[in-house]
Amino acid sequence: MPKKDHYVIIGNGPAGNSAADAFRANDKDARVTIISDEAFSFFYRHKLPQFVAGNIGEDDLKVRPYSVYKEQNIRLRLGQCVDRIDPEEKILYLRHMEKVGYTKLVIATGGSPRILPSLTSFEKHLRFMTGYNNAIKLMPEIQKAKTITILGGDLISFELVKALRTMKKKIFFIFYSKCFWPVELTGNMSAKICANMKKKNIEAYADDTVETLTEKGNLYTLKTASGRTFKSDLVCCFLGLVPNIGYIIGSGIDTERGVLVNEFMQTNYKDIYACGDCAQIYDPKLKDYWISIGWSNAGLQGKIAAMNLLGSSKVVKPLPKSIRDVVGIKIQTSWWDHF
Amino acid sequence: MADVDIVIEICGSAGDGTISSGEILSRFMSSQGFEIMSFDSYPSEIRGFGKCVAHSRISNKKVLSPGKYTDILIALNNAHAISQLHTLRETGIVIFDNKPPNYLEEDQSIAGWIEPGMISYGIPLLNLSQKASGSARGRNMVALGALAAIFGIDGEQMKSAIHARYAKKNKVVIDSNINSFAEGFTWAQQHVTKVDSYTFGHSKPKPSKEKKAIINGNQAVAQAAIDSGLHLYAGYPITPATKIMEIVSRELPKKGGVMVQTEDEISAIGHVIGAGYAGKRAMTATSGPGFCLMSELANLAVMAEVPAVLVNSQRGGPSTGLPTRNEQSDLNIALFGGSGDSPRIVLAPTSVNECYTCTTLAFYLAEKYQTLVIILLDFFLSNSIRNITTPVPPKANQLNSNVAPTKTALKDYKRYKLTKNGISPRAIPGTPGGMCISTGLEHSEHGHPRYDRNTHPAMTEKRFNKIQGALSEAPKPRWVGPKKNVDIGVIAWGSTAGSAHEAVLNARKEGINVAFMSTVILSPFPVKEIKKFSEACSRILVPELNYTGQFANVLSPHLSRSIERLNMVTGLPISAEDILEKIRDMAR
Repeated sequence: MPKKDHYVIIGNGPAGNSAADAFRANDKDARVTIISDEAFSFFYRHKLPQFVAGNIGEDDLKVRPYSVYKEQNIRLRLGQCVDRIDPEEKILYLRHMEKVGYTKLVIATGGSPRILPSLTSFEKHLRFMTGYNNAIKLMPEIQKAKTITILGGDLISFELVKALRTMKKKIFFIFYSKCFWPVELTGNMSAKICANMKKKNIEAYADDTVETLTEKGNLYTLKTASGRTFKSDLVCCFLGLVPNIGYIIGSGIDTERGVLVNEFMQTNYKDIYACGDCAQIYDPKLKDYWISIGWSNAGLQGKIAAMNLLGSSKVVKPLPKSIRDVVGIKIQTSWWDHF
Repeated sequence: MADVDIVIEICGSAGDGTISSGEILSRFMSSQGFEIMSFDSYPSEIRGFGKCVAHSRISNKKVLSPGKYTDILIALNNAHAISQLHTLRETGIVIFDNKPPNYLEEDQSIAGWIEPGMISYGIPLLNLSQKASGSARGRNMVALGALAAIFGIDGEQMKSAIHARYAKKNKVVIDSNINSFAEGFTWAQQHVTKVDSYTFGHSKPKPSKEKKAIINGNQAVAQAAIDSGLHLYAGYPITPATKIMEIVSRELPKKGGVMVQTEDEISAIGHVIGAGYAGKRAMTATSGPGFCLMSELANLAVMAEVPAVLVNSQRGGPSTGLPTRNEQSDLNIALFGGSGDSPRIVLAPTSVNECYTCTTLAFYLAEKYQTLVIILLDFFLSNSIRNITTPVPPKANQLNSNVAPTKTALKDYKRYKLTKNGISPRAIPGTPGGMCISTGLEHSEHGHPRYDRNTHPAMTEKRFNKIQGALSEAPKPRWVGPKKNVDIGVIAWGSTAGSAHEAVLNARKEGINVAFMSTVILSPFPVKEIKKFSEACSRILVPELNYTGQFANVLSPHLSRSIERLNMVTGLPISAEDILEKIRDMAR
């Protein structure tokens, strides 16, 4: 009996799931496996702030129940991290020392927390919330903390502020208009944010650089360039995402900021495609690579990647009006426009 | 205090320290005030790398059964642990070695088999063990350390427990184990993000004022036998009864007794009958095939009216069968095994505590009623570790229950005198005037062989009648639940009784009108109580671990209604969940 094809998707977000669905819809017999380092099901990232605040439960986070995967015969390997890809041998090396072979591979590992260079020396004191794994770790700390400093920002940081207000926490919100993810804020927008926050008893400051961040007895002292001092029980950092591709570097798959793919989402290996926040997609018209962010973009790309791996030739087209230039990177922000 | 009821299984290969780490965990959690019920399963082959599982249910509530589903599975061996995954709860946890020496092929790691909803914590068991002890032998302790760190178990106190466990070993062994535990504990504290809700941390029960003993069924039997004045133990090793012999061989000589490892089981029961004839308390312990071998000679104790205590720890059969699996399929041979009409007393403890009390009772009854007393354990009960209130040793009047002849009787001593209650006063050999003949042939009151038409009926009736007295001296059948108008009555025996009891309590919480009865004495049979119970119930369910429903068949003639049966022969203890499901089915 011929060996079944094994379609493997790294990543359990919208891109990964739509790729898996497309594989299954078009090939009933193949093995389809999703591998994700998240220990939890496919979840709504924007709901994480309400989850850590205890306002919603795990079931509200889930996009779909586990039973869907069983019904579709899609194997879900959760809490498993791919350490290395061997594209020549078509083998994935998992961190727990297991080898998984594939016939076709979709890379959809999304993003990891973005840290500004000025903050890297304080990284050990910062908390992030890019996924379930760090949200669940953050949850008891947030419950316990009375005062929280948020370094913003991105849209999730706004969501967290909203959630923390329901918990009656004292909040300091420091944000960076030039580095706001995924679009820069204008002076007017920043002023408006500060004013609106103030009305809600939140101390908000725009563009004040962190000079020092120290910890003593679980109390964090943050001093800014303007001379302000903030003392809080927790410092959370929300500055968007960078493509999560560390494990790919050195494998032979071309990367730059993200995984480089052509307009068909194909990497420099014919059986490996990438999609979603981790991919840098070439646009022949722009003659440049662009990164798309956002849920619906990712879902669409995941489906196209899978279909093309199965023989189609669909092209991913960015909407020119939603392409923005952020710190020199071209980003499609339809997600932002509709938020 | 939050409710804690967690089942932990440690699964490894023989030589991985699976059973010893399970024992340490159980004993430690018991010392912390938790109720525990643990048992081990291990391969029957003496050499090799078969699968070992140490199963522990740990709760801050009363525990009656081992629990069907595992909450936390510690995998010391991938292949064996994968085969054990079917017992893991849908939201269960797996702790496994995420740094084996080489990459494993797809699906050879347990991580690949974990279903969505389950959570895995990868710990570098081998690396940490090598760092702590210079070898792979500390992997079990590393895993225990990680378990303690992740689930809120006091690491420092547990280190003391490990020290106590290996106190008799040399310093290298002690240090290796403790260091391995500490490595696992620290590593997990630093690297594991807990994403599950299981914890022992905030639920430590108040320390009990009662003095507790942590023992398994075999240990309870051995201790009870020694406390009951055992003079001679004779036996031939056989799983799962061997542990009784091991303990007795160590402890009995300290009390002046003798342990003889005989050439086979027939010789063992011969020794026991010989010692019993000489007026000494004697016992043997065996299992299925050994019990078969003994069954012929054991009849001599019945016919010659000699006290003999025979422990049979049941395992899967027939023949060599399943030496390390559980079954309750020796009831027929215990009750009826033997030529002729062969009445004997049969006791089947339902818990570790009753393993102790039944053994002391067995010696008392054997001596008083001058007959064979069989104690029916099973693999699960033999190996089930419980923390029980320290048993109270038998009182002085229980240490000698022999009905001795009066001086007048010795003037014309009739060893087998027909009396109202069937008990013939017994002169111990050497008693002046007590000389008599004892034989396996049918005999007169003086012991002389007699085959006439009157002697055998009279003596048969005497042998049956005399043991009826045991009914009033054994614990009354336990009745739990309402005394009348019951929809479903569950009757259980042996180790199944705990699961049945728990199932009935849970069913009652669900609003099902159900009651429970168990009996320790199976021969003579407590007809009156069982009948009364069955008459209070519309339907009767008998769960047991044999194919034919041996106990249900014994019950059936005494009941006016048919019996519904739940017979399982999986080799595993019957679970409360299985019985509850059957009760629900019946209630629908």
